[in-house]
Amino acid sequence: MRSLFGLMALAPVAAALAGPPLAEPPFLPQAPAEYREARLSGGPPKDGIPSIDEPRFESAAAAGDRLADGDRIIGIHIDGEARAYPQAILVWHEIVNDTVGDTPVSVTYCPLTGTALGFRRGETTFGVSGRLVNSNLVMYDRASDTQWPQMLAAGIDGPHAGDGLQELRVVWTTWARWRERYPHTRVLTEDTGSLRRYGSDPYGQYNPRGGYYAEDAPPVFPVMHESDRYPPKHEVLGFRDADHAYAVDRAALRETGVLRHEANGRHYLIVHDPGLDTGWVFRGEAPVAPGDIEFGPDGPRIPGRDSLTAVNAFEAMWFAWAGFYPETAVIGGGDR
Amino acid sequence: MLRLVSGTVGAAYALGYLVALGDIGFGRGARWGWQWAGDPWRWLEARGLFHFEPVARLDAGALVWLVSPLDVLLAAALGGLVALNLHGAVSLARGRAVCGSGTGGVLAALPALLAGSACCAPGLLLLLGIPSLGALAAFFGWLVPLSVLLLAATRLVQRRRGAPAWFGA
Repeated sequence: MRSLFGLMALAPVAAALAGPPLAEPPFLPQAPAEYREARLSGGPPKDGIPSIDEPRFESAAAAGDRLADGDRIIGIHIDGEARAYPQAILVWHEIVNDTVGDTPVSVTYCPLTGTALGFRRGETTFGVSGRLVNSNLVMYDRASDTQWPQMLAAGIDGPHAGDGLQELRVVWTTWARWRERYPHTRVLTEDTGSLRRYGSDPYGQYNPRGGYYAEDAPPVFPVMHESDRYPPKHEVLGFRDADHAYAVDRAALRETGVLRHEANGRHYLIVHDPGLDTGWVFRGEAPVAPGDIEFGPDGPRIPGRDSLTAVNAFEAMWFAWAGFYPETAVIGGGDR
Repeated sequence: MLRLVSGTVGAAYALGYLVALGDIGFGRGARWGWQWAGDPWRWLEARGLFHFEPVARLDAGALVWLVSPLDVLLAAALGGLVALNLHGAVSLARGRAVCGSGTGGVLAALPALLAGSACCAPGLLLLLGIPSLGALAAFFGWLVPLSVLLLAATRLVQRRRGAPAWFGA
């Protein structure tokens, strides 16, 4: 009986520690303790940048001229549902805790590193800790209070330090491109539960690109590792496996349509999506020519795709990618 | 007349402080109206050090004011102290011209400038992009209470040196 009471007493604790669904962490070049030491305050306190926990949406037509064709959005497509989260809103919130189809997700965006990633959140929600590593948003989950740098997708402090999050592919593209691919998309509204001056960006602008987001603009916060291979805010398409990181030169990918990379006994196929102007990464070998690939709601349809495994990829500012992954391979960059 | 000028400068300073915080600025397009925050207690939540959540949004054409009671209170306190300091400094300078005494008013300008930097410094960091200073972002908010203390201290010094009270002869 005593043990039963003990279990009952521990149940809330176990629930509190449950946290989000876990996965093997992607490549962690350094120990969690080193990222903990590199953490800095970005200024706002925990939840000082409020996540959107009850997002509201409207149709693309209802959004009207609130979004210009060239405005950046973060898109996600799950179970036949497409959602667009305008960068102009996420720059003030950084995290949207949403449910798409039947999947509880967190769509996250870090303005300082230009990175958008999606995660399965399970029963919990994510919030903004107010801390940064390599200028990158450090999230926390409200069940276990573990801290997760967004780009690492791995815990660095708390009960799940060293664990990984389950990533979901989100797309960093423009409103016109997303709307063209997903005409029935729903769009996040400005009814976020917080009052902000949406339409003004505290860091700069993307349409056209300027201010903090300009390619040559220097980072504001110190980074763990520096590289001058590209301008600091130059966008690369990054992906990682268990023990390596790879940065794809987007100009080379646009030019060739398909890039192949073999390293460490693994084969990768990187496909340019001209409609969304992004890249899709697959592990495996398939003799594919750009003309063979069709693009639909679920991304590229590749002949012989059965032998390929999708690998999550996301655009990132070069200084941040190199800050986390100093030994990264660069694919398609030539001698640059 | 000196009170009117000092009060106007103090009010302009308070307005500038709210602009620098981002509470007042331009929005998208032009519209007229207002909007309340859903949660009536939201105004107590901090967005940053000495920077608080708004309870209402007022749109006046292209101008937007995110009304945060605590930010307004801080802006009023800073603006009021700037006005008092200016009033005291000019009064002492006039006295010095007559009888050769009183230099405390000169000091009043320093904390006022500091208060201005307190609200603008993080934005300046982004513009300047100085990594070594980004590490200090957490401390910039503390310049606000520091400015209040320095402005209050210089006002006390002015009074001890004979500056007149705001109210009175």
